[in-house]
Amino acid sequence: MRRDKGSLESEVLAALWAAGRPLTAGDVADALGGELAYTTVQTILARLHAKGAVERELSGRAHAYTPLLDDAGLTAGRMRALLDKEGDRAAVLSHFVQALTAEDEAALSRLLQRRRRPRGS
Amino acid sequence: MLSWVYLPLLFAALFGQLAPTLARRMPPRVATWLLSVGGLVAAAGSSASLALLAFAFVAQSPILTARGHWSDAVLRHRDPLSVPVGAVASAAVIVLACLVVRTALRRCAAVLDAHRLARALPHAGTELVVLHTSQPHAFAVPGRPGRIVVSSGLLRALDASQRRALLAHERAHLDHHHHVHHTLAHLAAAMNPMLARLPGAVDRSCERWADEDAAAITPRSTVADALARAAVRARRAGDPAVLLAAAQTAVAERIGALHAPAPRLALWRVTVLSGLLIATAAAVAVAMHDTERLFELAQSAYRTGHR
Repeated sequence: MRRDKGSLESEVLAALWAAGRPLTAGDVADALGGELAYTTVQTILARLHAKGAVERELSGRAHAYTPLLDDAGLTAGRMRALLDKEGDRAAVLSHFVQALTAEDEAALSRLLQRRRRPRGS
Repeated sequence: MLSWVYLPLLFAALFGQLAPTLARRMPPRVATWLLSVGGLVAAAGSSASLALLAFAFVAQSPILTARGHWSDAVLRHRDPLSVPVGAVASAAVIVLACLVVRTALRRCAAVLDAHRLARALPHAGTELVVLHTSQPHAFAVPGRPGRIVVSSGLLRALDASQRRALLAHERAHLDHHHHVHHTLAHLAAAMNPMLARLPGAVDRSCERWADEDAAAITPRSTVADALARAAVRARRAGDPAVLLAAAQTAVAERIGALHAPAPRLALWRVTVLSGLLIATAAAVAVAMHDTERLFELAQSAYRTGHR
């Protein structure tokens, strides 16, 4: 399924953050399971660099990329301030996962255990 | 005859109870639209009923009988309950109107805040913004364009496919403007407290909708795994300031739904709920017509001197 430029860019950036060390375009392509062509990854990394989201240094013959923290703009404190706000302000942001109750966690463990057991089909 | 005016109140109450339950078994995209727009229709219908009841009561006051040239005796005679019920309805209209205005203002402020945040986040032009913390955050910020915020800790905990699933989930929230559906549900609940379950139901169906969108580009089990890993991390993190209790989205339920095939549309659920809404609109139309007739009677009585 064709994925658009923006979502590919996010995947590449996410892969850089997940790695926690500088990655070359080849490393990123591998990290993403080889689904993206090397040249595609190169283009995306160059775009991210132009947008100031990553920095790069020469490592041998290739560039190794690391994601950039933004010092000037976003600070952890500002995000914390927003996340701490109660009620509607924070509720507009759609969270992936919200607070788990104890029942949720028990049900979750059961589900995960069922998955791990080998299944016939 | 005038009993038609109570039907929208009954139908809205029924909708408020049935819709969240039936929505769980429906494809989440359909469920969300029914809950949000349908909820608003149900709320509008019940508000119209309250307004008619309130008007029939207020119209009996001397000021209005003089201005409108209708007989308050006729109004009272045709419906003896119009005074006590009408008084309650009038109070309800005032209270609910205030609630609606307050809800609308708060939601507007929240959405504007979100847009401002989306603009203020660094690296303009990128969809993803990463928060450098081990706490497991992942959320979508509506805006022009919307942004996705994920913590580095969560990204490290997921593999490439799971990250793709997470991003697809958050992107779905933005693409389908889920915050608008939430707003409609909140407005409906403000207009009619019997619809109080709708916002929570919309929250659940929007999450399921985003899960299904993610499941369209990665295997269902991958989305489930991503969710499970994020949830376990969230539980471990446990800091109440970090996790918001906006709505207790049933994570186990979502994972369970991903381990089953995608829900198929069973028309009967849509029919039942749509039927309720159509019946509500029809009942309002009849009630308005009846009220008009009643006032015509009252006016002719006034003219012929039978005050």
